[in-house]
Amino acid sequence: MSNSRLTLAALAIVFVAAACRPDPPPPDPAPTGPTAEELERMRQDSIRAAEEAARRERERLEREAAAARERAAAAARRTLMETVYFDYDEATIRSDTEEKLRAKLAILRNAPSVQLRMEGHADERGTSEYNTALGNDRAESVIRFLTGFGLDMGRFSSVSYGEERPVAQGSTESAWAQNRRVEFVITAGGDDLGR
Amino acid sequence: MMTRAAQAPARLAVPAVSLAVTLGSLAVTATAGAAQEEEAVIPGVSLGFVYEGERIPPIAIRPFTGGGPVSEIASIIATDLDYSDRFLVRDSLPAGVGSEGVQYSLWDQYGIDWLLTGRMDSEAGMAVLEVELHDIVFTSLRASARFPIPSPGHEGFRLAVHRISDAVVEWVHGDPGMAASRIVFAMRPFGNPRSKELYVVDSDGEGLRRLTWDDDLAVSPAWSPDGARIAYTSYKSGLPTIYELNLADGSEQTVERSSPGGQQFSPSYHPDGDVIAFLTLEQGGTKGIFTYNIRDGCCLTHLIGGHHQNIQPVYSHDGSKLAFLSNRLGPQTPQIYMMPAEGGDPELLSPYRYGQGGYFADPDWSPTDDKVAFAGGIVDRRVYNQYHIYVRDLDRPDNRIVQLTHEGNNEDPSWAPDGRHLVFAGARSFGYGVFVVDTATGRTRLVVAGVRAQDTDWSPRLSWLDGGAETGETGSGSARRDTPQDAMQQPRKHLQNPKK
Repeated sequence: MSNSRLTLAALAIVFVAAACRPDPPPPDPAPTGPTAEELERMRQDSIRAAEEAARRERERLEREAAAARERAAAAARRTLMETVYFDYDEATIRSDTEEKLRAKLAILRNAPSVQLRMEGHADERGTSEYNTALGNDRAESVIRFLTGFGLDMGRFSSVSYGEERPVAQGSTESAWAQNRRVEFVITAGGDDLGR
Repeated sequence: MMTRAAQAPARLAVPAVSLAVTLGSLAVTATAGAAQEEEAVIPGVSLGFVYEGERIPPIAIRPFTGGGPVSEIASIIATDLDYSDRFLVRDSLPAGVGSEGVQYSLWDQYGIDWLLTGRMDSEAGMAVLEVELHDIVFTSLRASARFPIPSPGHEGFRLAVHRISDAVVEWVHGDPGMAASRIVFAMRPFGNPRSKELYVVDSDGEGLRRLTWDDDLAVSPAWSPDGARIAYTSYKSGLPTIYELNLADGSEQTVERSSPGGQQFSPSYHPDGDVIAFLTLEQGGTKGIFTYNIRDGCCLTHLIGGHHQNIQPVYSHDGSKLAFLSNRLGPQTPQIYMMPAEGGDPELLSPYRYGQGGYFADPDWSPTDDKVAFAGGIVDRRVYNQYHIYVRDLDRPDNRIVQLTHEGNNEDPSWAPDGRHLVFAGARSFGYGVFVVDTATGRTRLVVAGVRAQDTDWSPRLSWLDGGAETGETGSGSARRDTPQDAMQQPRKHLQNPKK
């Protein structure tokens, strides 16, 4: 009962509102048309605008491409320089190290001018001379892995730091694990990365 | 020697060793299986020390007379004689000992065997200490001598006094002591976690100073036989390279590289002072032990290589042999070998037994080449370094091996010029340090406390010759190779004291 009365009232309000809208304004006088100079100026403006837009777009694309290259180069550099780790008193390539080396391998194949220095390290256990030899074994082991896939031996050099340059201090298993490593330094061809 | 040569073919077998009668040593049982224990027993190794039944004679030093720094000199000598481990130094004297003449009966009642007296004199404008050693037991003057003494501010002062101590040891025992000598080692300078530098300290722990200022890694120093130069490994060129540092003028020479990427480590001098044996590591290149004549700059020679590690060569003092480290018996069981200096069949020196494992390193020949000291052990290294110092007696038919340390970690043993003491880099529950152990009594003392040293190397005997000028300008450069003492006494910029 009350519902139908409300609906009627609403319809009445809509009707009154529609009846009250003012008339539309009279149409503008017909355009007289631009002059020849104006047309020419507009044409030139639009050409300039189009060229400007094209230039901006070109620059944007170039910037993006450069940024993408930079990102790719940085990613490649990160991958190449990622430290690999070894088990205690071992120079054999363990599975996580192999994974990292395979990632480096892909990059090295695509950037043949890149050269690397392998820096071998050991934890503090054992005598310093022994650890020098152990660090060297680790660097050599990494080089053997990479050259085993056909990369040129001449691209790689090695230095052993033995136990002299720990990254983690302290005599704990976690410090030792971080110190048993080979670090990578790009010695040539870094500009080739990301192309 | 013949016995050992006959055993040489059986390289895997440890020479049968009967346990030497070691007074005061721990009992040795054959429970070798307990390799994980701190005090793991290695078959064939005697624990403890070898007392030769020697009575250590008491000595007293009567206050020196004549003015000048006599009390300082007497105090240095007293410490030296104590550190020689060949005297019991009496430091409280009876009243009324006088200053002239010697009342033997009085000193005899005091219970000493030897009495040292001294009087400061001068000779041609130079202070001279006239020293007398009296044999109280036989009531006679045993020896006397006059020693020129530079003023206490002079760099040669302590060395000049140490020479007196060594003379006293020689007068009584026949062989000079080791007071006039120094110890070189590598350690991390304070506040620079990426570098290691060389330091040198007198045998009595005085005069610690820094030798290298490269702000890079300087390790494995070795004294030349004349004490005038130190060969070491430095990374300052980017590749590990052996340098020879001339202590007199700070000049340096390098060893020729076998190939552009060759890394050089662990130098050791031939007794001629010209040839250096060292390790070369290079991927793809010729690895192993090389020799090079650094005096003539020639004659790079490859001695031993192979796919095993053959590292850490050390010349014997007669130049006929090289001791070195090799893992030919297994990748994680490096052992000590010796071989003819020109190359040849290696002979095992460390106590290896099949299945026992073990890790032995850091060989060093005694001055008379009758013993080889080394560090290592058969403990489980995965827990932590627990190496001890061992001495292999080459001249005894039983090839005795004695273990000299029994706690903490101990590495890099190096013989004193007296052939009796060893310096080593040690770690104890109270910290790290440079230690000296007397191989006869086992007495151990700290030379430098609180430093994490490595590659300790003890110099030959150093002397102090020209007694003259404070400026240190006299005689420098003329006969440098023959007068290492000259090298050590001059105030040079590379021998500056650590900043206070």
